[in-house]
Amino acid sequence: MASVSIDQVRKQYGAVPVIHNISMNIEDGEFVTLVGPSGCGKSTLLRMLAGLEDISGGEIRIDGRVVNDVAPKERDIAMVFQSYALYPHMTVAENMGFALKLKGQDRATIEKSVRDAADILALGPLLDRLPKQLSGGQRQRVAMGRAIVRQPQVYLFDEPLSNLDAKLRVTMRAEIKDLHQRLKTTTVYVTHDQIEAMTMADRIVVMRGGNVEQIGRPLELYDRPANTFVATFIGSPAMNLFEGATVNGQFVTDGGVALPMPEGYQGATAAAYGVRPEHLTIADKGVAATVVVVEPTGSETHVLAKLGPADVNLVLRDRIHLQPGQPITLAPDIRRVHLFTAHGIRTN
Amino acid sequence: MSDLAIPTPHTEAKRERSAIGSLRLVQTGCILVIALVIVSPLFMLLIASLKDDRFQILADMGSFRAFWVSNPTLSNFAEVSNFSGELAYGRYLMNSLFILACTVGAGLIVNSMAGFVLAWGTLRGRALVLSLVIALYVIPQESIIMPLVIMVSRAGMTDTFAVQIVPWVASPLYIFLFYQFFAQLPKELFEAAEMDGASVFRIYRSIFLPLSLPALATVSILMGIESWNQYLWPILVTQTDYARPIAVAIATFFGQDSIYWDRAMAASVLMMIPILALYLAFQRWFVSSFVGSAVKG
Repeated sequence: MASVSIDQVRKQYGAVPVIHNISMNIEDGEFVTLVGPSGCGKSTLLRMLAGLEDISGGEIRIDGRVVNDVAPKERDIAMVFQSYALYPHMTVAENMGFALKLKGQDRATIEKSVRDAADILALGPLLDRLPKQLSGGQRQRVAMGRAIVRQPQVYLFDEPLSNLDAKLRVTMRAEIKDLHQRLKTTTVYVTHDQIEAMTMADRIVVMRGGNVEQIGRPLELYDRPANTFVATFIGSPAMNLFEGATVNGQFVTDGGVALPMPEGYQGATAAAYGVRPEHLTIADKGVAATVVVVEPTGSETHVLAKLGPADVNLVLRDRIHLQPGQPITLAPDIRRVHLFTAHGIRTN
Repeated sequence: MSDLAIPTPHTEAKRERSAIGSLRLVQTGCILVIALVIVSPLFMLLIASLKDDRFQILADMGSFRAFWVSNPTLSNFAEVSNFSGELAYGRYLMNSLFILACTVGAGLIVNSMAGFVLAWGTLRGRALVLSLVIALYVIPQESIIMPLVIMVSRAGMTDTFAVQIVPWVASPLYIFLFYQFFAQLPKELFEAAEMDGASVFRIYRSIFLPLSLPALATVSILMGIESWNQYLWPILVTQTDYARPIAVAIATFFGQDSIYWDRAMAASVLMMIPILALYLAFQRWFVSSFVGSAVKG
């Protein structure tokens, strides 16, 4: 196990910068997720950690050692690829033992290490199969097994679940988390799926356009997003965000709807007002809205409504019966309202 | 109009089936004619090799008797299967086999390595090298053959096996073929092996080469045929029986005064066998390689 330190790291392709002076520290044994939309630089940053991409500036340290110019094989890290990258002509056992074979370990040691990793991942009966004879989930486990066998200081995962179907993704998510809890190895995990990031990580790094937008624990990011990007990126359905201005202790949206300000912030100025769908309730007093679409999911009811000209999403825990076109009155939980400046920076 | 005149769906289907049947008949007929055109000279060659009278072979040519032998004999094969003496065709055959094995063996290694480096190496100017390789392909072999003869004779390589192997080991066509095959393999395989601690050579040897069976088979067959059919080059660089291949040796049957059709036919049949065996051995991958390149674009 090891800590990872990223200090003022830059990456540019020719004159085009793709990573801008990023700094962060990943503690020993921590599970950190890099999350962001496509093209935000999260995979590039992971590949720089792996040594598969050169670093244009700054320093990367693994366990205190600067690894900028160290070859991938000498960084003592293992990576699980999005496409699994299993060697098609080798059996599961050969795939898992390949790294140890290259290290010159004897056959008995390799067999024992492969068997131990296979036991952890329930791959025992599959050891003699070729990758093409495995399902997507099994291939994913083999890719993880290949990483485990090496007992590296750091695991790197590059969107490992994106090729799996939704159900299997949930199962594998739990398996990876369980594995981390057992092995306690420092892990950096890249995903574009914020649910994956929220459920698995000790800390999340939200990235956009080659910059870090916010670093924090999952619920910190959810409860106190630093800016409008993080506010809308984290959480599903996304936070409702209304643009407008503060007038006489109220927030008036561009559509002319007056929303209550949080306690102690009546005098503050804000250009955007955010409220999560589950922090809006249907009440007797509040602002008038009209139901557009009702989506019952069983455990909760999702409602899309019109608040003035703007769309607003609600998540209701109760099985409430609503009809499209029905007028409702919405009341935001003012303790959980988020205010942002015109530049999208949090003010409360 | 009576009801009987209206075509029912049943009669329509019957007519369609009969049209398909006629089309199939024409197709089969065409295929049979093409097959006959291709196979008949080979069959004639085999039949002639079993006749012991060279004048009779000549007389039979041009008639259906060319496809029939009343008293088959293997005497022609016995005569040309010697390893020494005037008709050492066994030796020439072995010479050809040795040249083929060495050319193909070395060719697979050299061309696949070059293709791999062009596809995955970090060498600067790879694109330029690749362009040059492709440009070299359009230069006909015959146009460089005289300077090559001068080079090898000055190097004292004439009348050796090496002179028939070394110049033909590296080929722009096969380098490009390997390059194309390697380049379409996923980048993640290279990177995963790199992370596992494999050197570039180890990645080539343990990962990429085993995955390139279709390309290896294709190059083996094409290179094998090319080496086996070499005629002009061996004539220019061999003077004695020592390293003479069978393709050149067969030509000696066609003398100024007489033509030994019987022996020439038997030697030709013997010459065909190894290359046919090579094709049959690699045919499965050869076909899959061409089909694969067709569907993958």
